[in-house]
Amino acid sequence: MKKRYGFYFESQRCIKCWACEIACEQWHGIRAGTVKLRKVMEVTTGTFPQVTRIFLSVSCRHCANAPCIKACPAGAISQRSEDGIVTVDSGKCIGCRSCLEACPFGIPQFGEDGTMQKCDMCLERIAIGQLPICVATCPTGALHWGTLQELSEKALRKSARKTAAAILTAWETEGQENSCS
Amino acid sequence: MGNTAGAERTISTFCHGCGAAKPRCGILCHVKDGKFIRVEGNPLAFNNLAYSRTSLCAKGNTGMQFLHAPNRLIYPLKRTGEKGEGKFQRISWDEALETIAAKLQEVKAKYGPESFGILSPEYWPVLATLGRRFLNVYGSPNYLHSAICATPRNAAARITIGFSNWATDDFEKSRLIVNWGANPENSAVNQGQPAAILNAIEKGARLIDIRPMLEPLGSKAHIWLPIRPGTDCALALAILNVIIGEKLYDHDFVRDWCYGFDKLADHVRQYPPEWAEPITGIAASRIREVSRMMATIKPMFLKTGNGIGDQATDGTATIMATSLISAITGNLDIPGGYYAGTLPAGPPLIKIKRISTLPERLPPDTADKLVAPESPVWYQKAGYWDGGPTSAYYKGLMSVLTGKPYPLRVILASCTNPLSATRNPRKVAEALKKLEFLIVMDLYHAPHVDFADIVLPACNDYEHSHQIEIRNRPEGTWIGIYNKIADPPGECRSDWQFFLDLAVKMGYGADFWNGDIEEFLREQLEPSGITLEELRNSPTGIFVKRTEPPPEPRYRRYTELFKNLPHGKVQCYNEIIGGKLNNDGSGTLPYLPTYQGPPEGLAQTPELAKEYPLILSDVHADRLCQHSFFNDIPYLREHQPYPWIRINPATARKYGIQNGDWVKVESPHGWCKFKAEYFEGIPPEVVMTRRGWWQSCEELGLPGYPYLDGGSEVNNLYNPEEKYFDKFYSQMPKQTLVKISRLEG
Repeated sequence: MKKRYGFYFESQRCIKCWACEIACEQWHGIRAGTVKLRKVMEVTTGTFPQVTRIFLSVSCRHCANAPCIKACPAGAISQRSEDGIVTVDSGKCIGCRSCLEACPFGIPQFGEDGTMQKCDMCLERIAIGQLPICVATCPTGALHWGTLQELSEKALRKSARKTAAAILTAWETEGQENSCS
Repeated sequence: MGNTAGAERTISTFCHGCGAAKPRCGILCHVKDGKFIRVEGNPLAFNNLAYSRTSLCAKGNTGMQFLHAPNRLIYPLKRTGEKGEGKFQRISWDEALETIAAKLQEVKAKYGPESFGILSPEYWPVLATLGRRFLNVYGSPNYLHSAICATPRNAAARITIGFSNWATDDFEKSRLIVNWGANPENSAVNQGQPAAILNAIEKGARLIDIRPMLEPLGSKAHIWLPIRPGTDCALALAILNVIIGEKLYDHDFVRDWCYGFDKLADHVRQYPPEWAEPITGIAASRIREVSRMMATIKPMFLKTGNGIGDQATDGTATIMATSLISAITGNLDIPGGYYAGTLPAGPPLIKIKRISTLPERLPPDTADKLVAPESPVWYQKAGYWDGGPTSAYYKGLMSVLTGKPYPLRVILASCTNPLSATRNPRKVAEALKKLEFLIVMDLYHAPHVDFADIVLPACNDYEHSHQIEIRNRPEGTWIGIYNKIADPPGECRSDWQFFLDLAVKMGYGADFWNGDIEEFLREQLEPSGITLEELRNSPTGIFVKRTEPPPEPRYRRYTELFKNLPHGKVQCYNEIIGGKLNNDGSGTLPYLPTYQGPPEGLAQTPELAKEYPLILSDVHADRLCQHSFFNDIPYLREHQPYPWIRINPATARKYGIQNGDWVKVESPHGWCKFKAEYFEGIPPEVVMTRRGWWQSCEELGLPGYPYLDGGSEVNNLYNPEEKYFDKFYSQMPKQTLVKISRLEG
């Protein structure tokens, strides 16, 4: 595979605004209360006042060796060799839901016609150099899209910057002088 | 609209999901076969205070559903039944405008022009320009302002530190951000603030979040102070007590730039953290810890919001105190601190003409005739608030019932639902019933429409091309115009057009472009050299890139910032308002920020708390609606289908309430029903909800809920006695005590 596209989601930057989920719905003409190609979720843990809220924006992860592809008896799901995007051909789908059983993340959705629907990374947008609509709309920059190479570099850079910032904060907390600020 | 079948094209316009006054995001609407099918952010419009970004919030992504909304008002109507009964007959625009004009002429002749008032939903461009201009030409000062959002807080800051606005894009340099009673992840998702706070955290800044609920930004905070609603003044005074008592303040700044510091120091000695603990529900040790952080971690940006400054009995004192915390810790107008104004962008590269409100038409002493001055008349006359005189929305409505000092006779309510926009819908409904003449111009048949004498159908902002927006930023200047995405249904007209049309009927045509809306727009565009046609035809608005770098920001501009303050200094001891008459003439205002607390609370009214043991308040804004509007939008309603009340699970279980149960919530003033939503991020003694649930959502089969007892309008539950309103800027408290029980059936 020449390259693989992926999403990189930073939960620390997500404020559960639902923009990505609704952007996906409106852009693809999906009615409210039906299928979700992207979904905002939350995990709350702890009890008052020690409470942690983790927000998630969830869609197809376009896995390497995607188990849904192998599970599909109709050969309706495939991975594009040029960029790793996993797509479904609803004409071939028989609605057996084997893909849902196989998907470790519970991603495949089934609409009114019973066929499987899933994220295709907004193929028509990325073809003209635009970001998938969920990434384009995210107000806090929590969602990123690119090749896995670009995304891992971005994640590494961010991680290094955050560590540097944490060191500065730690010095401040200890009340020490530092020459970096 | 000249579409070729099958082709998809984009039209540039603006979202109005954040309501009347908020900055509106530029959007590109994709239209196919004449139908608005999808939307994306306009990268040139500086949405989210960013250049070349396409972000939008949840509401911004739902534009096409605004167009297909059922329950729209589409024809002018006149009342045929009793007021409140909701019986109407269709009339023509001509008849409607002539009826209104005749009524306005009649009451002006009989009772004076001040007997007409316009309800202002927020600082809405239509009313702030043409509405105010109409009032000025007509001769009434009664712009009935909400006293609920931003202006009270801004005024309290201005009389204390000389300025109120701060630069969102500067606080990424902060080392400590205090988000106090502000709710930007709900009220301003795509307006720069949440992203900037997150950026600052990534750069190592610490965040202290002071709100009753653990909201999404609070969940990123290093310290969350789950304060009891309405007790923020006590916390602010205790923080001042620690900072001053432990001598942690910026001694040089205090010496050079603070007036009356010693009097403040004496005054706050009575407010130690141990005093604040039982009021606020926050441990004294915790108050000391955050006080020390605020005093020692610099730069600090302390951001306040509606919850503490605009919707509490002592909102003014609270903001005076928080402003003084920023001041005495030396954080005013420093990089990453409380920077005054916006960062310099450089001169605008496109110039337009601002619409004058013709303030000179109003005789100089007309403020004396205000029906219910929002802030004291002497203050309004002194010109501190340049928008012109204002009466308070709720108190103005009450004049209809009390006749004091005189009753308003005619009220125009456009883009505002008085049965949810202010407290006490029961009394407001009584006032609307008794009011001589009510004009309503709106999109939907909201409950208040039933009380109207004349109903006018408004365009939403996808249905007109009558407003121009301009933005000047370091990267350049951008200008855009609202474009029609669809033809208005029925006979809807834009609010802009309405004021021009009414003015013509009143004989004010010469001051209102003789009713020619295009002329009105052309006059604004004139200095730009851009024609109206060019602007409307530009696919993404017109952007002029800046070639010269913008000027560097100047900091510590204290001589300039404090020039209108007595002695040219921060008012620790406030000589602007101290000893002067308050807004209802019942007494004088204090020199020093003084705690009052909510009208009802665990610490404030312990006897009452025996019967009503829980504190209730509501969030002013929610990211899935705009006040009491847009619950009809399926994409949004799906995520909050029912009127909710957040409750700590431990508390809920005590009352046998399961997650998702309907709950009867009773205060001493009324009762409502809400669906219990278990939430660990709320103190066990507090419950929080959201107001404004009248709209149904047909597509999802979800109903609306009434505004009186048994409905879900939280304003029904609060203490509406005017003695509890802030005496400087008329803020109305939104905190009370309630008892709860599971609602059967």
